[in-house]
Amino acid sequence: MTQTALEAINLIRRFGETRALDEVYFTIPKGQVVSLVGPSGCGKSTLLRTLLWLEPPDDGFVKVGDRYLGKDLSPEGLVRRQSGREIDRIRPRIGMVYQSLNLWPHLTVEQNVTRPQIRVARRRPEDARDKAQALLDRLQIAQLSDRYPGEISGGQKQRVAIARALAMDPEIMLFDEPTSALDPELVGEVLSLLREFADGGMTMMVVTHELAFARDVASRLMFMDHGRIVADGDPNTVISSRKNARVAEFFDRVQAFHPDFRNPHQRRQR
Amino acid sequence: MLDPTVITENLPLFLEGALMTLRVTAIAFVVGMTIGGIASVAILSSIAPLRWLAAAYVAVMRGTPFIVLLFLIHYGLPAMGVRLPALVNGTVALSLFAGAYYTEIIRACVKALPKGQWESARAIGMSPVAAARDIIIPQILGPMVPPVVNCTMTMIKESSVLSTITVAELTFAGLVVQGETFAPFEVFITVALIYWAITAAFAFGAALFERRLAGANRNRLMTPLVARYLLLDGGRT
Amino acid sequence: MKFDFDYVLSSLPRVSDAAMVNLRIAILAFCLALIGGTALTLVRSLKIAPLNGLIAVCLSFIRGTPILIQIFLIYYGLPAATGLRLPPEIAGITAIALNSSFFISEIMRGSLPEIDGGQIEASTALGLSPGVIWRKVILPQLFRRISPMLINEGTVIVKGTALLSVITVVEALRVSQQIGAAKFRPFEPILAAAAMFLIINLALTAGGLLLERRFAREGR
Repeated sequence: MTQTALEAINLIRRFGETRALDEVYFTIPKGQVVSLVGPSGCGKSTLLRTLLWLEPPDDGFVKVGDRYLGKDLSPEGLVRRQSGREIDRIRPRIGMVYQSLNLWPHLTVEQNVTRPQIRVARRRPEDARDKAQALLDRLQIAQLSDRYPGEISGGQKQRVAIARALAMDPEIMLFDEPTSALDPELVGEVLSLLREFADGGMTMMVVTHELAFARDVASRLMFMDHGRIVADGDPNTVISSRKNARVAEFFDRVQAFHPDFRNPHQRRQR
Repeated sequence: MLDPTVITENLPLFLEGALMTLRVTAIAFVVGMTIGGIASVAILSSIAPLRWLAAAYVAVMRGTPFIVLLFLIHYGLPAMGVRLPALVNGTVALSLFAGAYYTEIIRACVKALPKGQWESARAIGMSPVAAARDIIIPQILGPMVPPVVNCTMTMIKESSVLSTITVAELTFAGLVVQGETFAPFEVFITVALIYWAITAAFAFGAALFERRLAGANRNRLMTPLVARYLLLDGGRT
Repeated sequence: MKFDFDYVLSSLPRVSDAAMVNLRIAILAFCLALIGGTALTLVRSLKIAPLNGLIAVCLSFIRGTPILIQIFLIYYGLPAATGLRLPPEIAGITAIALNSSFFISEIMRGSLPEIDGGQIEASTALGLSPGVIWRKVILPQLFRRISPMLINEGTVIVKGTALLSVITVVEALRVSQQIGAAKFRPFEPILAAAAMFLIINLALTAGGLLLERRFAREGR
């Protein structure tokens, strides 16, 4: 049986009359690369915040690896709210890379990566530094260790944010629109980095507008609309599926702008 | 026309008063900052009653003249059976008053940070205390300096009101000397000049401190410059 | 001693009557400060070096010394130095207005760069005189822009009027002290005075917010 990295069970979140999350269920097994696609305002951001329990849902459970986050559900069906400390302990098992990155500008690149390790994972400073160096090296920004976030480029900042999250050894990495805040010429670089991660077996959920990524790199596509996961499955199947009108309409529009979108192989042949 | 002996003969009295002014303001600074730290956490918290309480405290302190607050405490505490020296009452009043302004400053500086700073710290598993200590506080210390300096200078000036409840600070010294010499112009000009010197020195020192703080962290945007303070940017309360 | 709420209420009528004195003084001082502040700003805009230097020193003095001392200087010091004896209320209004003029001038100076220089150039090109440009182009926009800060200055002035009790002006605080002295219980009347100041300032702040919102809407 494959292990589960992240599971959402019946997540519901209401804002007045509207439901930002409407009975969201999914299970992401280890090693899977999922892209989350949907029109803006469909509830993607709320979902990410809810998965981290930064915005507790009105109902539902989040499970990271074999642990619940926020609320426990015992085998007997008893529900128990976790203490703040318990939540803090489980949260880093989800590695989050924000769209705005949210690096800490008063700390050096290395400190950005070591501080959570020391404070949260209680690692010794030298261990944290070794880990940080290894990660920064792997992400090819080891030479920037002593710089401040304000002194490095957008693409480099993103690598720091990734290293910061990876240093906590998460079960899964969440990326919130990793390409949308970048200069256009950097998009390709980030996508190939993500592809590298995917090839390396990293479990990822990527909220993205880069449909080429959703189609070519991810092994699964979840389509969200009005707080619901309305389509979920193999990217090519979802893209060409006509079962759900909203999904079909969305990808029809994409197809209209990029005529080769649904059938990339044709383009290659030409 | 000016009689310099009025000043020279009573100089020790003036200086003693000035020392008391500094002492009272220093205590009000420490206590007020503590209050400010606590009240700003309350104001930024998600617990509504705490927020209201802190907001009400700030609104009352800001909406009422300091002299009235001072009298409320100076006459109110004995009415409740708490009899303390005027100096203590005055220091308590000034601390409470300063605390409200420090609360506003801290709140504004925290609010000015991008929301993601707090959130990213919490999302990676930092406790609220760790997130505040490691991520928020280091980032607001720099921006806090100019408004805190302004506010503290205002408190130096406001402390002159303590003379009305006979706290022997600089203004009170002036009133005493003027009662003995009947030379109000000389006396109050002297007192004013001493205040001016204190606030100028304070502003100058703060500007140097801010510059050093900026030097320690090149990365942070600072707007120091001694020149700005030479014109004494006294805050308004 | 127990807190006597009825005593607070019974002192309210006299205290609130006296608060009208605070209000009158504040309004008068504010109007004078507005005129003084504008005049200072205009003078500073002429960029006459010695004059601006003098103004800078005065500004530093006003900001660096307590307003209470400024009040004492005008009420006690001025007659001793020049023989000009002002009644307490006039002395108080003078001190507050003078103090506030400098602060208002600073507020105006701070917002001046925000006004579009192109408009002034265009007005000059049209042949308008500097006086007309100030009156018709710059000042109206400036006042609109600084209105929130002027409201804040207004609350500072209202609070400043309480200090005039020290130089025997019969205003809310002084009246509350008189009531307290007569009944040997000072606390409750002062609470009534505090309430009056709070009400005036909260009303002023609320009015300021309304004004700001209206300006924001019109600005669009």
